[in-house]
Amino acid sequence: MKNGESLKKIYRVIILLAGVLILGSFSLIQLQKNNLKQYQGQFFDCFDTVTAITGYAGSQEDFSQKMELLRQKLMHYHQLYDIYHTYEGINNIKSINDAAGKNPVKVDKEIIELLKIGKEMYEKTDGKLQIVYGSVLSLWHEYRERGMENPKQAQLPPKEELIRRAGHTDIGKLILNEQASTVYLADEEMSLDVGSIGKGYAVQRLAEYAREIGMEHVLISVGGNVCAVGTKADQTPWLVGVENPDLDSSEPYVCVIELANQSAVTSGDYQRYYEVDHTRYCHIIDPDTNMPPEYFSSVTVKTDDSGMADALSTSLFNMEYEAGRTLVEGLPGVEAMWIGKDGEIRCSSGFEYNEKK
Amino acid sequence: MAKKTAYMGMLTALALVFSYIEFLLPVNLGIPGIKLGLANLAVMVTLYIISARAAFTLSLVRILLTGFTFANLSMMIYSLAGGMLSLIIMILVKRSNLFSVTGVSVLGGVFHNLGQIIAAALVVETAGLLYYLPVLILSGTISGVLIGILSSILIQRLTKLINDMQN
Amino acid sequence: MKKNDVILVVALALLSLAVFGGIKLYSGFSTREPEAVIYLDGEEKGRYSLSHNITLEIRQDHGAYNIFEIKNGKAKITEASCPDKVCVNHRPVSGQGESLVCLPNRVVVEIENGEKLDIDAETN
Repeated sequence: MKNGESLKKIYRVIILLAGVLILGSFSLIQLQKNNLKQYQGQFFDCFDTVTAITGYAGSQEDFSQKMELLRQKLMHYHQLYDIYHTYEGINNIKSINDAAGKNPVKVDKEIIELLKIGKEMYEKTDGKLQIVYGSVLSLWHEYRERGMENPKQAQLPPKEELIRRAGHTDIGKLILNEQASTVYLADEEMSLDVGSIGKGYAVQRLAEYAREIGMEHVLISVGGNVCAVGTKADQTPWLVGVENPDLDSSEPYVCVIELANQSAVTSGDYQRYYEVDHTRYCHIIDPDTNMPPEYFSSVTVKTDDSGMADALSTSLFNMEYEAGRTLVEGLPGVEAMWIGKDGEIRCSSGFEYNEKK
Repeated sequence: MAKKTAYMGMLTALALVFSYIEFLLPVNLGIPGIKLGLANLAVMVTLYIISARAAFTLSLVRILLTGFTFANLSMMIYSLAGGMLSLIIMILVKRSNLFSVTGVSVLGGVFHNLGQIIAAALVVETAGLLYYLPVLILSGTISGVLIGILSSILIQRLTKLINDMQN
Repeated sequence: MKKNDVILVVALALLSLAVFGGIKLYSGFSTREPEAVIYLDGEEKGRYSLSHNITLEIRQDHGAYNIFEIKNGKAKITEASCPDKVCVNHRPVSGQGESLVCLPNRVVVEIENGEKLDIDAETN
């Protein structure tokens, strides 16, 4: 009898243990799995393009909250680097342009940082990356918009005017005062246009911010400016397709590259352009000729820093292959792929990609 | 009592060995969860020659020990869900006296697979796993028949042996 | 073996067949075909199966328009009133989650139930 009692007790303990074990392991697996759910979201109000975020979260709400934080952060940079609009309480690039030749403008240190990089890249690329090129770019912008509105009357900007405006693009007249955190354009007709580096710099900062808010595996794409934070949750790299510049081709990608803690940025002539007399004129302008370059259909740069990738892809697009190749090979950790007008693909020595199956 | 404990020890050891054999030589048909269920042989024998309670203990001990020694956590959860469900069903069916050893074993096999797939569907949160259901019912039936025939032979011989020894 | 055992085995075999058939039938009904979903200002305006060729105009009050086309299983914007024409200069889409976006007109076309893509993003 006594024996039976104690046996019963043992059974109870065993059953209890089994219960605890089952519940415990279920919740453990639940926890593990929660980190592994992949979500994707888009927003449309930053840098005049589509921002797509792919990441992992415990739930849709959790992911949406993080998306909103990222959106606000990116919006902050969008407003700082905007050349067309002013925002209440913010001195941005437009404020600096508006005060050109008049007075220095006190700005956020994120603007100073960006402009410092712009100056550095000007040196590194022999002036192929030009951030005080606003006067020429705005003329092209004007003619492009008008030409697209009315394709039959599309015209090129007059040569003399381009040359006249190119006379107001001396980067030496961009005066940064880091201590006072001010920027001054010492030429009334000069203006900043940070379109070739602002987005990349902002994406790099956004990637760092994503880490700060606990997202360790995220893929950020701001209009094709792609930045991978970490790997995918399963430790494999993110896969990014390099778009085929030939939009009529049935192959959407030229190749697929793998990214882990890296960025890839492409500059191309096939998305934003207008046509004059059946010739295509894209939105990227070579500071040496004041005309769209005709070397390539697209150039893709892959490197650790998204700002660097953005700046370099524009610069390389403006350079002949040999000069660009020399530049890339001299920069550690930078790789590039050039796609010619005829579809010919050339890569720097360390550029790795998967052939399209 | 001492004899019962000795039998239990032997059968538990046997069940562990069976589990290990199946772990070493998995039958991979591309569908998770399909296996012969050799360990169920030991459970069946215990159920018939000792008691339902003993079968329950043996089953639990086997699952926990295999779980901690050579399987992983999620395998153990599936195993627990399958093993416990199948055992409860077998005990109930045996009491009903509707089926012979083979019938009990068949239902045990089917419900073992059912328990596993339900647990897996809960963990992975995809109903997609239920697509395996028909295959798992079929495989549970087939392995149940095999194990059932084997265990009915074993039970017959062992019962005779025990009776002989007691006389 | 009892007679009941045999009945049980046969019944289970039949049951697995029945479940198999049931699943086949159910999934036959529920597999959704690829669709293009049109959003205007974030609001869903319509869904169109990629298996039927159509052309339609997404017109807005203030004169803005996008001409949307489904041809050979792919969705495309062929014409638009927007100044940048980025939506028109986009290749036809058909893959899961791919989209056509016209920011100036606030038109988004997104593919649902499309073929799964083997990339996570695209650089262009």
